[in-house]
Amino acid sequence: MDFEPSPDQSAILEAVETLLAQRAGPERAIELAAKGEYDFELEEALSEAGFVDVALGEETGFLEAALVVEAVARAGGVVAAGARLLVAPGAAERPLPGPVALATDRIDRPVRYGAHARTLLVADGDEAGVVRLEPGEFEPVPSGYGYPFGRGARSLLDRADSLGPGSGPRMRGWWRVALAAEAVGTMAAALRVTVDYLKQRRQFGRAIGSFQAVQHRLAECAVSVEGARWLMLEAAWQGARPEAAAVAAAHATTAAARVFRETHQLSGAIGYTREHDLHVWSMRLQALRLELGGAAAQRRAVAESRWAGGA
Amino acid sequence: MRIGLDPEEQSFRADVRAFLEGYRNLNGFFHQDERWPEVKGFYRALGERGWLSLTWPERWGGLGLGPVHEFILWDEAAYARAARPPLSAGIVAKTILRHGTDAQKQRWLPGIRSGELHFSLGYSEPQAGSDLAAVRTRAERSDDDYRVTGEKCWTSYAQDSDYLWLLCRTGAPDSRSAGLSLMILDLRADGVTVSPLPTLDDAQLNEIHLDGTRVPAEQRIGAENEAWKIVAEALADERHVQFPPRRLRRDLEDVIEWTRAAGLDRDATVRRGLADLAVEVLEVETHAMRVLAAVQQGRAGAVEAAANKVAGTVLCQKIARAAVEWGGPAAIVRGEPLEFLWRQSLWETIGGGTSEIMRGVVARQGLGLGGRR
Ligand SMILES: Cc1cc2nc3c(=O)[nH]c(=O)nc-3n(C[C@H](O)[C@H](O)[C@H](O)COP(=O)(O)OP(=O)(O)OC[C@H]3O[C@@H](n4cnc5c(N)ncnc54)[C@H](O)[C@@H]3O)c2cc1C
Repeated sequence: MDFEPSPDQSAILEAVETLLAQRAGPERAIELAAKGEYDFELEEALSEAGFVDVALGEETGFLEAALVVEAVARAGGVVAAGARLLVAPGAAERPLPGPVALATDRIDRPVRYGAHARTLLVADGDEAGVVRLEPGEFEPVPSGYGYPFGRGARSLLDRADSLGPGSGPRMRGWWRVALAAEAVGTMAAALRVTVDYLKQRRQFGRAIGSFQAVQHRLAECAVSVEGARWLMLEAAWQGARPEAAAVAAAHATTAAARVFRETHQLSGAIGYTREHDLHVWSMRLQALRLELGGAAAQRRAVAESRWAGGA
Repeated sequence: MRIGLDPEEQSFRADVRAFLEGYRNLNGFFHQDERWPEVKGFYRALGERGWLSLTWPERWGGLGLGPVHEFILWDEAAYARAARPPLSAGIVAKTILRHGTDAQKQRWLPGIRSGELHFSLGYSEPQAGSDLAAVRTRAERSDDDYRVTGEKCWTSYAQDSDYLWLLCRTGAPDSRSAGLSLMILDLRADGVTVSPLPTLDDAQLNEIHLDGTRVPAEQRIGAENEAWKIVAEALADERHVQFPPRRLRRDLEDVIEWTRAAGLDRDATVRRGLADLAVEVLEVETHAMRVLAAVQQGRAGAVEAAANKVAGTVLCQKIARAAVEWGGPAAIVRGEPLEFLWRQSLWETIGGGTSEIMRGVVARQGLGLGGRR
């Protein structure tokens, strides 16, 4: 058992964080969100630096890819990192051209990154399929949730190339891990912004963060996020084994609800304004929480994988 | 004990409902700024019926009725999603009635009563949120005027209002609650800059920068440095309309209707969830009745009001959250009614005193647990 990153893992993380410090961050996220745009430049940079190939690398694997996805989410990157770095290699067992969007058969409902994706990965029953998308085939959906969304006609699915029997559950497993990784990075950032704010925000002659009633709630959030993080890394380490992936996603979506609620409540009025960075991450938590059937579906997946076999 | 309305009150409620027919879903309840001309029209129509001055003494153009009538009006207006009570006819008018001079009453009350004059609440500042006694905005007296300099923030509707109901410091900088005064500041006066703070419900709050703005001394309400007590009384005056419970009934009904339309109303989990919420809605209605009873009997009712606010606002978020959860990804399409309800409800546990401050009141004053804030 070793919960410390290896020197190689530390080097990867440091490299991606350096890149993200230059190219991502809340300001960029706000600018892109206002226009409903995608960060093609960031995706290109991640790709050039080799981060999109980490999962299938010779010296690296899915655990390292999960760490990178988490870091991208922490930096508020507007790229489909989870889909490209974890789900595509996990489901297709080969890289797919990005941006990659993930969907069930209901692509007539909002799909995260749908309007910008070149590759649509679809989990439909036992088989996953790949659809090459042309620009304009998905229409953008207005949303205030930090990610661009799109939806398309279900007839597009007729063009899907199957990834073969068993690829459906495999894709869902990696999707859950990716969802958890993005949620973990996003929660950590939301919590960090809030903790930093409450350390310096003074009322009644003291820092608000020094009130015990406030501390306990932030501590509960920190415990939840830490738990979600290790469940997610364990699931990545185990190759998205159905039960581990479902547990990671179930825990992360539940934690996301708590972190959303507490960070907003404890930030007071400033957190409700767009002046403060909290919304960059908090609103995304709401979107992540509802993906792939939402918290209830993640829990059902836990039950099914544990007691009924399969996901 | 009488837990319900008497026949006269019931008949008033019927009148209110009939009147509100023309204003259903005016949506000033949520988005006053977008709809300001219409919302103002609604207030004027209320003014014409004397309903903005239900509880004022007849001498000042009021109907001399009690808080129950006021509660009925604003509770029904919440259910109709028409609009919230205007600050002018509530805190402002009631404070002027209690502490103003006759000249001030003559100057301000007619315009308020008719729905013509509107005020924003100028309490919060960058350094004074929950801790209101930390207000720094400074008013310096010179002859017949005050010159006011400072920073207000999170001011609702300042972009549409005529005046600011200003809490400011006239005492020494460290005088805390003993050095505050209340004044009426003209938002169109020199030295006033109002800037928008965009919010997550696609509306705005405002920052107000005051730079030597002139306020005539006759626009100070109550004695200098005595505002703290007045502010507390004004809060008590408005307790019964601060969080009208029918908003929740309406939220829940909207959610139920939506579950029907989405074919979810037969789903056992959804039904169970709706039943839980329905129980809580009824609970909050009883909290609201307790507040009303306290106000009616002239008791302070601070604990009842705190309980009502915390229970009501937490529940309003719960209802919206449940709907979004059942709605799945469709619930992130911006502007869909349930999605909007969810985003809007986020601030209810913050504005008008946070849940934490309310829980503190229940703990210290209700349970006698002692301790400071
Ligand atoms: C939509 C909206 C409209 C508003 N409109 C107006 C307006 O028109 N005019 C106006 O003057 N103000 C207005 N406000 C401001 C409102 O009154 C303040 O937001 C409120 O008083 C809380 O202050 P704050 O936001 O600075 O939070 P803070 O006081 O900074 O508190 C931050 C967090 O710490 C918690 N906290 C603070 N002290 C304690 C403690 N002792 N123990 C435990 N927890 C604590 C709070 O509960 C909160 O969760 C509005 C706010 C909102 C959100």
